[in-house]
Amino acid sequence: MSAKNSVSIAEKTAQLDALVAWFDSDEFELEKALDMFTKAEKLAAEIEQDLATMKNNIEVVKVRFSENK
Amino acid sequence: MDEAVSIRLSVSDFIALTNQTLEYAYPSIEVEGEVASFKVNQGKFVFFDLKDATGSVGCFMTLWQLRTPIEDGMKIVVTASPKLTAWGKFSLTVRTLRPSGEGSLKKSFELLRAKLEKEGLFAEERKRPLPTLPQHVAVISSTQAAGYADFIKIVNDRWGGVQIDVAHVQVQGADAPDQMIRALRYFNSQENLPNVIVIVRGGGSADDLGAFNDELLVREIATSRVPTLVGVGHEVDVSLADMAADVRAATPSNAAQLLVPDRQEYIRVVQRQVRALLPRIEATMERYRQDTVMRLETMFEKLSRRLGEQREKVVMLRRVLLELDPNKVLARGYALTRGEIVAGNVIEIEKKDILIKAEVRNVSKK
Repeated sequence: MSAKNSVSIAEKTAQLDALVAWFDSDEFELEKALDMFTKAEKLAAEIEQDLATMKNNIEVVKVRFSENK
Repeated sequence: MDEAVSIRLSVSDFIALTNQTLEYAYPSIEVEGEVASFKVNQGKFVFFDLKDATGSVGCFMTLWQLRTPIEDGMKIVVTASPKLTAWGKFSLTVRTLRPSGEGSLKKSFELLRAKLEKEGLFAEERKRPLPTLPQHVAVISSTQAAGYADFIKIVNDRWGGVQIDVAHVQVQGADAPDQMIRALRYFNSQENLPNVIVIVRGGGSADDLGAFNDELLVREIATSRVPTLVGVGHEVDVSLADMAADVRAATPSNAAQLLVPDRQEYIRVVQRQVRALLPRIEATMERYRQDTVMRLETMFEKLSRRLGEQREKVVMLRRVLLELDPNKVLARGYALTRGEIVAGNVIEIEKKDILIKAEVRNVSKK
């Protein structure tokens, strides 16, 4: 998995935080709660899946720092 | 009789020839000794003597080359070229110097620390936090060093999806500070800036780690546009580079731990967050249930009260009706007459237990 997935992890985490915050907010409605919970559960599963598979991309830069330019 | 071949030279030529010979014989030498008569002239030129038990030699360098503070009595090693001046004075032109021996290293460290501390380079209010989930990280280290391998292994174990750009530099020796400075400038000048710059190096002797106490390097770290994380040596080692960094790690491994979260722990936190939502829904449902029960109970109480009131009213009316019952009046000895009370008419008289047919004989007013 590429470095781009990390962006989506950060975004998914932010989305999850927003969903969790909704449960504590004045906007909370019991009728919508189950739907919101299902979304949170799905996001958590996606984050878990992404974290299990993604890898870092390591590149040594092609600059010789021993030379003063 | 042989005569020794002698060369006749002007003074200037003799000085030039001597310097050529010295440059050829000793292009660069290291000399160790104790500093004496240290002074800075015109804020630019540094003069001092380097001496031991039996000898002394004058040294010259520019102030910008002096990257490690020194003072009289400190033991140092200079990298220099010997030179005869136009006035015939022999001296060493110093390119670099470093403290030698534990005492001098410590003294130099303390002098520079005091100087930079006074300038506020280590102040807490200058420190910036590292991003929680970095996506682009720059690493300055030697890719052959054990400390770098530890760092990368732990970062890979803990997290993924990060773009890691590595600047391979020397992390010990005279060239190390300048190489690290160039790498810092390189990353700070990129269009796509990294989220954090990490400088790591494993353990070593105080001399090995001396590069991380270089004044220019410490200043470069302190003025980095990108937040810095420095993990050098073992836990007990403290360098000025550590102190100038936004975040100090005790070791390269610790730097990896501070840089990225642990994916297993992250998953646990996410799962915990989601699991904590269900009890909230259940608690809200329970609150709704209790509220409904309470409302029903209130309604029932009100209904019961109204029924009771109506029941009491009926009882009272019944009592009134009972009082008005004609049989009760007859029982008290009164009689009820039916028919027109006119003389000669037959009327019916009802008493409690009997009915009487009677003829009216006379009717008069009382």
